[in-house]
Amino acid sequence: MPLLKCEHVSKRFGGMVAVDDVSFEIMSGELMAIVGPNGAGKTTMFNLINGVFLPDEGHIWFAGVDVTRFPSYKRAHLGMGRTFQIPRPFASATVQENIAIGAMFGAAGGELNVEEAMEVADEYIDLIGLKAHRNKPAGGLTPIEKKLVEIARALAMKPRLLLMDEAMAGMNPKDIDQMVTFIRHIRDVEGIAVVAMVEHIMRAVAGLAERVMVMHQGAKLVDEPTREALNDPRVIEVYLGRQAEEFNAKG
Amino acid sequence: MRGSGKYLPIVPVLAAYALLLLYGLAAPGKWQLVAQLAFYCALGQAFNLFMGMTGYVDFGYVAFLGVGTYGMAVTISSLSDGGLGLGIILIGFLAAAVFSTILAMAVGAVALRLRGAYFAIATIGVNEGFRYLIEGARIWNGADGIIFSRHLKTALGRKMAMTVSTFWADIFVFGVAVLAAVLTLYYLRNKVGYALLALREDEDAAKVMGIDVTRYKIIAFITSAALAGLLGASGWALKLTYVYPPDVFEIHYTVEAIIIVLLGGAGTLMGPIAGGLIYGVSKYFLAITLPGFQLLIFAPIIIAIIVIFPEGLVGILKGKVHGTSLEKFVI
Repeated sequence: MPLLKCEHVSKRFGGMVAVDDVSFEIMSGELMAIVGPNGAGKTTMFNLINGVFLPDEGHIWFAGVDVTRFPSYKRAHLGMGRTFQIPRPFASATVQENIAIGAMFGAAGGELNVEEAMEVADEYIDLIGLKAHRNKPAGGLTPIEKKLVEIARALAMKPRLLLMDEAMAGMNPKDIDQMVTFIRHIRDVEGIAVVAMVEHIMRAVAGLAERVMVMHQGAKLVDEPTREALNDPRVIEVYLGRQAEEFNAKG
Repeated sequence: MRGSGKYLPIVPVLAAYALLLLYGLAAPGKWQLVAQLAFYCALGQAFNLFMGMTGYVDFGYVAFLGVGTYGMAVTISSLSDGGLGLGIILIGFLAAAVFSTILAMAVGAVALRLRGAYFAIATIGVNEGFRYLIEGARIWNGADGIIFSRHLKTALGRKMAMTVSTFWADIFVFGVAVLAAVLTLYYLRNKVGYALLALREDEDAAKVMGIDVTRYKIIAFITSAALAGLLGASGWALKLTYVYPPDVFEIHYTVEAIIIVLLGGAGTLMGPIAGGLIYGVSKYFLAITLPGFQLLIFAPIIIAIIVIFPEGLVGILKGKVHGTSLEKFVI
């Protein structure tokens, strides 16, 4: 049984079809990337999976439950974690409190009290290597540190699926490689599925994902293993235009 | 913050209220000032529980004090012949809490679906609307209000009724302030507080973290409203022994609550005490030294303080004690 299943999902904003009849599945423990140029509908797709928007048509199943009309917090309880494109830690709360909030209210939540959640948070602070910042307000961290705090906060929720929105935008190649290694590591350690949304950093896609879904103008263009997807003429055309594809074919 | 030390910040709160109370009992002729200060502290403390912790501003807040005042007034005026003795006051407080909770549920069911500024706008008319409802529909004696000093004497005897309205009413205000502080600290130290912190900082991110934000907003809203009801029942109803609609639905008190919370530091435990004392004392002295001009002088001072210290006094203090042994006492 797939962990996440989207069936003929569509979302319109007025006359604009942001997501157009998209179907796909994600299995437990899978590393998948959703890629596509700006405006392809990736963020809307993410928000539909996550419950920020409800679809106009179609159904979404998560962990065997029809979550199509579920609000985000209920999806979180079922084991769906998410990070944002621009990190959104709770600025006035400390690093430890931020991560503890994930532990308190996420999939493991309900059972953990504040003290237990703080202990869980400490484990994840070690994982992201921010021990020195444990008691500092998250608002004062660097962008990359904020991103790490946000990932730790999502992991502390004990998700079965982690949705990462543009996890590597604005990073230099060295940081991207480190982040890819880190994400693969947490997938292996935590045994969770990760769906990363990537706009154009193919270096990250190639290193990270086992499977790629390419979106274009709201629709699913291809959904195949990473190597095939990155060499698919349709994908190259979407990104670089037809001439580039011809150029590529020549040499 | 672990284990037994996590409720230590209640110590300075209790100390502050004890000192204020002792000053009132010891210094001749200062009881009314002290009672007024306790009222402002309690008002700030109760209002902070919702506004400070969620970041939502309820402009109709005074309506909860108003219906609480009616809760006490209606109880005493209708049950005074029942031979309940002092029990009538307890029932009055219960009625006050129930009335304000019901109003909070009704207002919250509509307004808490709205965000930020829209919530504020939706609540602006609540107090005026409720006042005109009482007056227009002639509920609870309509525009004539309820004068229940006679009923209080019937229920408690002349002497006890006098003591209740001149002394115990103010002590109950202290009680409401302490209760509000205890609840604030309890919330801050438990999951409710972290949920409220998260939704105050970023409501969308909070939802994604698994927080049922509406539920926690309702918890804070109802707690804050019920405390306001108790405050109206003690500081207004029992103290004055009458209730008159234009007095208890006056938006002025909501504005005072906002000023107190912002001065002291929104979302902190000590803030409303600092804010309440500063606001109350400066209002008192400005009224003596510059009668009639106090608001004109006060407005720019408040604007200056809020611009220079946006986190409020306790917000600044928290920054100063960070990393020292005093840290565990200040939140």
